Amino acid sequence: MTALQLDHVSKVYRSGDDDIVALDDANLTVAADEMIGLIGPSGSGKTTLISIAGGLLTPTEGSVLVGGENITGYNAKELTRFRGEQVGFVFQTVNLVPFLTARENLLVVGELSGGRAGRKQATTRADQLLDELGLGHRHDNLPRQLSGGERQRVAVGRALMNEPKLVLFDEPTSALDTHLGEQVMDLIRSEVKGRGTAAVIVTHDARVTTYCDRVVTIIDGRLAETAAASA
Amino acid sequence: MFLAWREITRSRARFLLLGGAVGLLVFLIVFVQALTGALIRQFIGAIDHQSGTVLVYSADARKNLEGSRVPLDAVSAVAAVPGVAAAGPLGEGTFSVQAGGQLRDTALFAYQLGKPGAPTTVISGRLPRADFEAVASDGNSAKGFRLGATVRIEHSTRAMRIVGIARDANYSVSPTLFTTFATYQQTRKDANPAAVVVMPSAVVATADPGVTPATVRDRINHTVPGIEALTRDQAVAESPGVASVGESIGAIVLLCFFVVVVVAGLFFLILTVQKAQSLTLLRAIGVRAGALVRALLVQVVVVVLGGVVIGGLLGWLALNAAGNSLGARVEIGALLQTGALVLGLSLVAALGAARRVLRIDPVRATVPGSLDA
Amino acid sequence: MRIALRELRRRPGRFGPVTAALILLTVLLLFLGGLLDGLYIGATGALRAQRAAVVVYSADANDSIIRSRLDTTTRAQIERISGVTAVGGLGISLLGAKVPGETTLADAAVIGYQRPPTGVPAVPPPGDAWADRRLEAFGVRVGQTLRLGPREVPIRVRGWVEDTNYLLQGSLWVAPDTWRRAQNASRPDAPFAAGEFQVFVADGPGDPGVLARRIDRATGNATATLTKDAAVLASPGTRQQKSTFNGIIGVTFVVVGLVVALFFALLTLERSPIYGVLKAIGTTTRRLFAGVLLQALIVATAAFLIGGLITLGLTSLLPARIPILLVGSRAITTFGGILLTAAIGGAISLRRIARIDPVTAIGTGT
Repeated sequence: MTALQLDHVSKVYRSGDDDIVALDDANLTVAADEMIGLIGPSGSGKTTLISIAGGLLTPTEGSVLVGGENITGYNAKELTRFRGEQVGFVFQTVNLVPFLTARENLLVVGELSGGRAGRKQATTRADQLLDELGLGHRHDNLPRQLSGGERQRVAVGRALMNEPKLVLFDEPTSALDTHLGEQVMDLIRSEVKGRGTAAVIVTHDARVTTYCDRVVTIIDGRLAETAAASA
Repeated sequence: MFLAWREITRSRARFLLLGGAVGLLVFLIVFVQALTGALIRQFIGAIDHQSGTVLVYSADARKNLEGSRVPLDAVSAVAAVPGVAAAGPLGEGTFSVQAGGQLRDTALFAYQLGKPGAPTTVISGRLPRADFEAVASDGNSAKGFRLGATVRIEHSTRAMRIVGIARDANYSVSPTLFTTFATYQQTRKDANPAAVVVMPSAVVATADPGVTPATVRDRINHTVPGIEALTRDQAVAESPGVASVGESIGAIVLLCFFVVVVVAGLFFLILTVQKAQSLTLLRAIGVRAGALVRALLVQVVVVVLGGVVIGGLLGWLALNAAGNSLGARVEIGALLQTGALVLGLSLVAALGAARRVLRIDPVRATVPGSLDA
Repeated sequence: MRIALRELRRRPGRFGPVTAALILLTVLLLFLGGLLDGLYIGATGALRAQRAAVVVYSADANDSIIRSRLDTTTRAQIERISGVTAVGGLGISLLGAKVPGETTLADAAVIGYQRPPTGVPAVPPPGDAWADRRLEAFGVRVGQTLRLGPREVPIRVRGWVEDTNYLLQGSLWVAPDTWRRAQNASRPDAPFAAGEFQVFVADGPGDPGVLARRIDRATGNATATLTKDAAVLASPGTRQQKSTFNGIIGVTFVVVGLVVALFFALLTLERSPIYGVLKAIGTTTRRLFAGVLLQALIVATAAFLIGGLITLGLTSLLPARIPILLVGSRAITTFGGILLTAAIGGAISLRRIARIDPVTAIGTGT
């Protein structure tokens, strides 16, 4: 099954009398357990692409299918549900809720969307994920008590918590040193591959692309070329 | 509850400060209301809890019983008005009374036996059956006004025996003795031997069955010259001290409500703005806007209710600790009403913050730097 | 400090919420103070104006002017005391006054006097009165003849005096015989004979307390003499009003402190990253804290000025029966109290400011 399929997707913003084309006729298919690196200069449309793929933005033209689900015509409510159930996000900087512990950051979507049903199950799953991510001793720590790398791992755990078809990473290593960055990328690859989840990783760090199955370049809103990863 | 409670327990200081401010303001409201209620009860309890439903003052008394004197023939004039079931004289005066070993300001409330004016809230003992017997208002036993006690009015020829106790029957913030009109007349003459005649302070009347006190009042005002008739409720509400105290305190209470609502509303708005990053993140990862608004409202409820409880407790403590000579008490009903009003208004004030939450665009999560904690 | 001032100038909106809350609290404080002052001044003017050291009551009056009664014999006893330089009689009757052209009665206190108090001219001829300005609100004018009490005793208004009221009723200062006429007409069961008064005011050098005790000894304890200050406080309700209102005002000041603490805690939280940067480039905690205090004081001052104007406007709309009086000294003490509690409230942020570590504040992902 295809994890992500973008067919002739465009996103145009109106600014005064001008049209700004953020994404221009993008076509992209990501297989079920494929890891794609998305690379491009600032303002090239990377963020727009993953926003559309993740149901944060609706395209002006084209269709978006995630895990077989066509989200193109979804309204805001449906997109919210979709994001909670089908997609995982790790944003550019570490992005945890500051007053929730590591465990609670993983549970937050389930708590606020699903209510009490399956809470025990969810807690068990959250603890398991944190253990797998090497945070077995950090379940009850607040973000300010964690190192940068630990926070990033918690964010990865949250992204995987709802067993999504697709996880979107926006510059996951930009705030980390080389060693930590490698650790996090190792982790991402093993988790993504191990669960059969697809991933799109936005980066301008060439080293990150070595972890990817494919690299897609985007320039001025156009997906320019694909290249096989060097790894 | 999950998100709301987690934030409260992990950012305790802010919520405690707000709860403290709300609590103190609720305390002010509760305290001032209790004091006002007690003061008003102390001012006019005797008027409110006597059997006459219409009171007739002299026209120049300006609804002040103490300043009123009516001629003796006013009683028969009022009794003759159609619709009046019974009418009798009411004598009121403040005297120095030897009670409990001390001289104390005491109000005498005198009525003719068998006529209107008797206290209606006797909780122990009985009504007077003879001259120089009295029913004392409650809350004054420590001052010597106990059931069975004997008190003596300064310059009076005879002592007075307390044969009953009535609840909430003080007048003019003084211990009050309900006694016979003849006793009152004798007491006045004893205090001032030069007095030629002792006039009643007012005439007190009741209405025939099927006739309202308001109707009787209007007929009396129409028929009898030189007087001003009021229903009992009017006499209470429009008593000079009561009206101005009620209005002044009302303004204070209104301002306190205003402050609570503004402070609570602004606090939650600022908090929402400060949490915008977390809220954007939560929206981006699939949390419904409604859930976030609910969490906000839960916090409002928790903090405000906490403040109401603190305020009520403080009010109760303050009124007890102050010795509370006025008999002021925190009425649970009034506290619940105040709490409900404060909570309702705070929730309305928090709508500004709720609107902010609803306006969050989850796509902002992808803007670089927007989620820096 | 300059940064703090610039922030106030360029981001005034940030301080909007705390200023709004403080404005309301200022209005509340000024209103409470105005009510207390109005009640006190309106109830006690007649006594405060007395040029006397002591006020002499009959012993059975329990410090109540209305219930006191003193005769010429007692007066003679007082006058004989060495150290007493002057004695004057005072009698007060609370009556309704019919005002020409008005339908409602004016609340009047007819005061018969012998020794002119401060601000009151010499005793007028019989039938004339000096009226307190409070009566103007009831339509009273100079030259009018008012009719007092149920027997409508006529009294002509000669001129105005200020701040001489009794128990919130506008005073009419009259000759003793005029007072007796009005009193006896309205209270035939409690008439006063010639030379009789309710109280005497007496003056003399030295400690008023000592003078008071000497007078009571000289009359064989037939009198109860209070110093003028004590007599003022003994006016019905005065003491209780003062303590109650002062208690409420005290609690309101605490609320001011809490509100300032609350909003400045939120502001400090918001500015933590900036404080981190400032500390990193060499700003001391003390300077940052001084800036916060300065902002708290400026905000409190602005709130007081705006709140004061609002209070002035609101009180002009209130009905006359609400006895509120805005007095300069009260405004000053209220301002001082607000500044102090605002400073204390702002000081709560010191701990948080001190704890900001410049290193962690500047790092990414914090």
